[in-house]
Amino acid sequence: MDYQKIRAAVENPLLTAFNGLSPAVPVYFDNITAVPPNTTTEYVRVNVTFGITNEPTLTGSVDNARGALIIRVFTEKGKGPARNQTLLTTAVNVLETLNNTAKTDSGVFFRVGEINGPTFSATEESPHFMGRIDAGYVATVLS
Amino acid sequence: MAAKKFKDLIPDVSESVKKALRQASVEIMNGLVKSGPAYSGEFSSAWYAVQPGETPGKNRSTGRIYRYDLRNVPKSKFKNLRQGTYYEIANGMEYAPYALDLEPGSFRSQLDENGDIIKPIKQPVAEDGRRTGQLRGQVTGGQGGISISTAPLDWYNTYVQGAALERDFGRGVKLGFRDGPLGSKKGFG
Repeated sequence: MDYQKIRAAVENPLLTAFNGLSPAVPVYFDNITAVPPNTTTEYVRVNVTFGITNEPTLTGSVDNARGALIIRVFTEKGKGPARNQTLLTTAVNVLETLNNTAKTDSGVFFRVGEINGPTFSATEESPHFMGRIDAGYVATVLS
Repeated sequence: MAAKKFKDLIPDVSESVKKALRQASVEIMNGLVKSGPAYSGEFSSAWYAVQPGETPGKNRSTGRIYRYDLRNVPKSKFKNLRQGTYYEIANGMEYAPYALDLEPGSFRSQLDENGDIIKPIKQPVAEDGRRTGQLRGQVTGGQGGISISTAPLDWYNTYVQGAALERDFGRGVKLGFRDGPLGSKKGFG
């Protein structure tokens, strides 16, 4: 099992997509301290978690992992949901592309389940409006 | 030993299904306790199996890790089980959306009136850094502060979507059928 390959399979395309926007939107992954508080700078936080690895199946042993993917988009509060939704759409497009990628002989075969959300929230203390989507995934390491 | 007539099995099947569902609820609630946070113990003891629209209760205990058993899922709740009936496992604490990492929220102070750290009842997964946001895990890395966390960020999504929920449900159903009227513990026929 190569967890780093699995993480990279989803994190890299998300990073590329948000870096490709104009202006580029910073993306923070696990174990990276997000931007300081009280800033209105927009950013994205991606959390890839691992649940159960190599669960037994009827067809025998497979090198796969299941987990959750949670994407939070932070945009300026008080400016309506449009910008937040635009950034969430970027994330969803990446996940849809991943799901449409054909299985190859090597690398990681990554499939995202149904996407929950988006849900939105804002608190008095935070300068941000937060949009959130989450999905389960199954990833198989092919080589 | 005379075999039971098919129609005589129906009540036993119904009883077995109820037992399986109750036991599955217990396994899931204990799974949530194992995966989730437990600082004072209130949140982890406030899981309930409820029908949609039904309000879950509050915490059952404090200061300890609560262990669920069949008494927490009373038989009477499953009395009118019909096709299409479903139950939810819900937490009754008002701050549940924050504890489940579904919404940003305000964190309580982790210091007592003397300024001493209040020890959590569960082994922390992180215990330093200053908070930089309103989500679990939004802390500075080791730069002072005492942001104690007893569960990793998005533990609930990981439990539900990472197959642990299915595993616990499956285990509960197996145990429930085994202990039900048709199970190996009670004999058959």
